[in-house]
Amino acid sequence: MNSAELIETHQWNLFSIFGYKNPLLAINSEIVIHTWVIIGLLTVALTTVHYILHNTHLGRFILIQIVDFFVGLTKQSLGKFVFSHCVFAASLFIFIALCNTAPIIPWLDEPTRDINTALALGIISFIYIQINTIKLRGVGAYIKDFFKPFFIMLPLNILAKLSSIISISFRLFGNIFGGSIITKLYFTTIQISWIAQLIGIFSGINVILVLFFTLFEGLLQAFVFAMLTLTYLSIGAEDSH
Amino acid sequence: MYNSADFIHYGVIASAVAINSISVGIGQGLTSCSALSAINRQASSRGDIMRVALIGMTLIETVALLALIIAILLLVNTSPEASNYFEYLAEIGIGCAISITGFIIGLASSIPAQAACHAVARQPLFTQRIFGFMLMTQVLIQTPIISALIVSLFIQGQASSATMLTDSLRLIASGLCVGVGSIGPAIGLSIFSHAAINGVGRNPKAYNKILSFTFVSEAIIETPIIFCLVIAVILLFIVQRPTTYTMIDGVIFIAAALCTGLGTLGAGISSGITGAAACSEIADNPDNHHLLSRTSMLAQGLIETIVIYSVVLSLLMLLFK
Repeated sequence: MNSAELIETHQWNLFSIFGYKNPLLAINSEIVIHTWVIIGLLTVALTTVHYILHNTHLGRFILIQIVDFFVGLTKQSLGKFVFSHCVFAASLFIFIALCNTAPIIPWLDEPTRDINTALALGIISFIYIQINTIKLRGVGAYIKDFFKPFFIMLPLNILAKLSSIISISFRLFGNIFGGSIITKLYFTTIQISWIAQLIGIFSGINVILVLFFTLFEGLLQAFVFAMLTLTYLSIGAEDSH
Repeated sequence: MYNSADFIHYGVIASAVAINSISVGIGQGLTSCSALSAINRQASSRGDIMRVALIGMTLIETVALLALIIAILLLVNTSPEASNYFEYLAEIGIGCAISITGFIIGLASSIPAQAACHAVARQPLFTQRIFGFMLMTQVLIQTPIISALIVSLFIQGQASSATMLTDSLRLIASGLCVGVGSIGPAIGLSIFSHAAINGVGRNPKAYNKILSFTFVSEAIIETPIIFCLVIAVILLFIVQRPTTYTMIDGVIFIAAALCTGLGTLGAGISSGITGAAACSEIADNPDNHHLLSRTSMLAQGLIETIVIYSVVLSLLMLLFK
């Protein structure tokens, strides 16, 4: 088995017809298409949610529980309820959770096993946090923070701010990547004989692997991502006192 | 006729199994020791304590089983004639990844089982919850051995194409990074889970609050392991393979691996201690858990910044050499 096959994705060089062969302009086509499918699923859910809320009792109960969960999460980490922060964290959680648990749907891979998706989500969260900190504190105080306690600390402070992007996105990427590698290695290994496949199905190892690495890890990492975004927001808010 | 390459090959196989067996043996011994003292304290819940200890010991044994799988794979791949010296040298990387990680995980994953025995003795009516909690923390502690397994399989896939000393040093470095990098976070995770299970045993009413804090906090503590995995994968697949023999390339690989690996040591332990302190405070005072968990997460995020410095340095070393 060629181990490099597990981490390579199909690349599509969009600008090569104009003569630009820069690898930075290449697009991981599989990842982009899988992300589109997930966005399509979310759009379908968005259009039906109004019907569910007004016509079914069970659906309404579940939706209210979900919204209550996010309101409680926001209150817990910020100390007070802020509508925009709650909506932002909830949409991050729902998108990342659906991305991480995508392999349950046939022919889909996790888009978050690509570093670019994870980094993009990290940068979105970082920009939102910085804009909110600037809104709360004002531009002058925000810039002045970089020169604390001394002027010399400027590069170190900038590095510390930027390191939150790396920490938040590499955590998501590494966990999902490791899990997907393990499941793929397992499923390529048992494909050598039908006896191994039968044992895998009937002993429950297949189900346990999918339950742990896809559902548990995926939901946990999505929760941690949303939680850390809210925590960074609360750090920015606490400075203003 | 045996030469030094064969000596390395069989040494790696033997040490992978032997070192892991030592730690698993010590861990199982400690677990049964605390099960006995827990039975001595609460003789009426003897069956529950025995069940918790037995399942805990079975989970500790996973480490030894994984090492056995790797050893058998290596043994099957032994080529009888014309052994490649650099291929066998690269297997030292597999030895580092499996032995160091397995040793520390075998000891660390026994600590939740020990704490769970005492907690069941203290709260016999709460056995089911404590049992589930112990299973969850033990599985989370054992994630580094899975990343070590991935890296070992990749190293084994690439080892046959190693034709130079620098190439096998690259493979050794990626194993070393995962192995050394898992020491600190594993110790931190074991300190944290000990405090969490103790907290549940002291105050069962705080169970829900400690559970939700445990999920987030253990994910933060084990992030340095993920950084080490990223550096190891970069060493395996993304770094340009040296085409001419220059010793400085090998030095760079080993230095970058040790930079990230040793950088996680302090951060993992201190992040675990921070989380453990917050956990025992939540058990004492569940009403204040918003404030306590927020403060703890803030401190753990700041501690993690140190690891990111070493990761950035390693990346600069590897990608712009």
